[in-house]
Amino acid sequence: MKHFGIKAVALVALLGIGGGIGGAHLLTASRKTDTTASVDPQDRRLAEAGAYIARTADCVACHSVPGDKPFAGGLAMQTPVGTIYSSNITPDKASGIGAYSYADFKNAVQYGIRKDGAALYPAMPYPSYAIMPDRDIQALYAYFMADVAPVAKPSADSTIPWPLNMRWPMAWWQLLFAGKRDFAAPAGADEQVKRGAYLVEGPGHCGACHTPRGLAYQEKALSMADGDAFLSGAVIDGWRAKSLRGEARGLASWSAADIALFLKTGRTDRVAVFGAMADVVEHSTRYFTDDDLASIAAYLKQLPPVPGKAPVFPAKADNTTASLLAGRYDSRGAVIYMEHCVICHRADGQGMARIFPALAGNSAIFAQNPQSIIQITLEGGKMPANDHDAMAFAMPRFNHLSDQDITDVINFIRTAWTNQAPPIASDEVAHIRGFLASKKPNIVSGGKHE
Amino acid sequence: MNKLYKIAAAVALMAGGGLAALAAPPAPAGEPKTFAVLDKDGRRLADYTIPSDTLIDKEPNAEQIRYGQRLLNETRRLLPNNTGASLNCSSCHVQQGKKPLGAPYINSVNSFPQFNPRAGREVTLADRINGCFQRSMNGKPLDKASPEMAAMLAYMKWLAQDVPHGAQVQIKNAWPIDTKLVPDSARGKTLYAAQCAACHGANGEGKRDGAGNIVFPPLWGDESFNIGAGLARTYKAAAFIRNSMPMGVNTHGNWGEGAVLSDQDAVDVAEYFTHMPRPDFPPKEKDWPDGKKPKDARY
Repeated sequence: MKHFGIKAVALVALLGIGGGIGGAHLLTASRKTDTTASVDPQDRRLAEAGAYIARTADCVACHSVPGDKPFAGGLAMQTPVGTIYSSNITPDKASGIGAYSYADFKNAVQYGIRKDGAALYPAMPYPSYAIMPDRDIQALYAYFMADVAPVAKPSADSTIPWPLNMRWPMAWWQLLFAGKRDFAAPAGADEQVKRGAYLVEGPGHCGACHTPRGLAYQEKALSMADGDAFLSGAVIDGWRAKSLRGEARGLASWSAADIALFLKTGRTDRVAVFGAMADVVEHSTRYFTDDDLASIAAYLKQLPPVPGKAPVFPAKADNTTASLLAGRYDSRGAVIYMEHCVICHRADGQGMARIFPALAGNSAIFAQNPQSIIQITLEGGKMPANDHDAMAFAMPRFNHLSDQDITDVINFIRTAWTNQAPPIASDEVAHIRGFLASKKPNIVSGGKHE
Repeated sequence: MNKLYKIAAAVALMAGGGLAALAAPPAPAGEPKTFAVLDKDGRRLADYTIPSDTLIDKEPNAEQIRYGQRLLNETRRLLPNNTGASLNCSSCHVQQGKKPLGAPYINSVNSFPQFNPRAGREVTLADRINGCFQRSMNGKPLDKASPEMAAMLAYMKWLAQDVPHGAQVQIKNAWPIDTKLVPDSARGKTLYAAQCAACHGANGEGKRDGAGNIVFPPLWGDESFNIGAGLARTYKAAAFIRNSMPMGVNTHGNWGEGAVLSDQDAVDVAEYFTHMPRPDFPPKEKDWPDGKKPKDARY
């Protein structure tokens, strides 16, 4: 009886797994496009249009390793279950996408299906790219095939352990979270906001970092119409990708002009880009047309706060500036600030416009989640070059300070001037330090780790 | 379902925490902070470690030390009657005088009195500080018995920690610039535009912060140092620039400074900006009374 029971369970399990795998194959088959559209990569106008679309989709940032050849893959992406390496998307026949037909290309970019039928991990933002029109995908294809130099650099396997590394369950994931869909403009939006919504939701895939993910790693919403979690802020790769919503800790303190200038140059008078967003500005948004930047800004500025989130901070007087200038350092954190930070960020916390970012009123500082401010303090950061400023500045790393020193100075900064943010604990600094130390390096040409 | 998410998230977090604990990060080196100390006979004494400002409060005269530090860091604002230039002592003595190669104050109290060739006599540290006020700060000397002078000396004394008088922390004060390099002022002008002007201004005018305090000092003009200052000399300025400028351009170094200009670059930039118009130093005739004037002296 007992024996029979085990056999029955095993049989059911086998049938279940068999059904899961078989169903996955059916799902993938039905999901694939069978388009027979032919795209002529020699069509210069098409390929040139594709170059801009590739910028709007920021393909290069994830599919390249800094200093290595563009689009040859190997960038390490740390996920909760392991490290995924981006793939080679140069038109190399053996290790890239040189053998891809247009249909193969469209299947990969928009539906997450590799030429061999394997489902792609959602580290590739195909749920966002799904809304891009055919003509743009055709232009992208022409660009990759005609204008990207082929590089022989084999794509690397992820470090995700069995059984999580099995690809077939991803087909079911795609059914649940990445359905085929077209762009739906927000109700009542004017042309500018529509264009902005398209760029943000589609090629710009802003939600990949700025929208929180669910337990299955799915973005909780792919548009405002899809759910109120859209662009409400998330943590990715040890960085806090801020809320882009119209709330105190979101974009309420940013004007539309600030947003456009930030995306174009990586700086405003108040802030400087850092972390993963520095790569976005460097490789993608600095190349956007002014019209597209204005559209994104217009779209983001009309997003409402997340229900329950404060739209503005309560008024708070700045007592910090006068205190520091008078030599009253009221906390250990203030003493550390005066030794290590004040030279650039200044006693009034205002920094120097376009050189050293302000800390007072800087939305990266008073985010509820302190991961970004901890990581930038430990690791430092470099501004991307732009076409606007003569020099690109950098912040040095302070990982030689103790966890307690960093905790104290961050707690000072988060509550100094008019800033309002909850305190951090030193184990949060220790956690980020550990995370940074255990990060997997990128893979450069020749298969070597950096 | 929500609860299940939370439990799963908690388990994942714990697992993540465990992994993080296993991979203990290596102790980050940063800039070296500990150095050997030799007494005047070359005998090794206890090592010296650059102290953190958080230790000042442990001192019985903490208030005086802190005041001295503020005077050095914010000289122009706090001592307007003694400064003609929009500069602070720490504009050149970078990182509060704590940086080897950045004109540190670390050995100052233990090196004076000393013979000064420019003055042609033995000078005290207070004399030396007043020399700076009249030249680099283009201003007036402090009363040597003033609380301000006492406070500056107290900060330097604290910074020296327990290194005894006459002993030396084994650091260099300035980058050993090659004084045989021939300056090219035209090249310096181009380099200035690319590497300096963003902060110090296209006309060397410097920049102030929102509170009106000097951030990037004027490098020439009425508000800059006068021709009697050490920094008005090409190779002295080059030694400073080579190692401490530009700042805020690297993710290493306490201020993200340096590692941009070569020795030749530094000499060229220095030649360019030091020779731009700047205030005179009327008592200049009294300098180097015994001759031996350095080749880059301005008079």
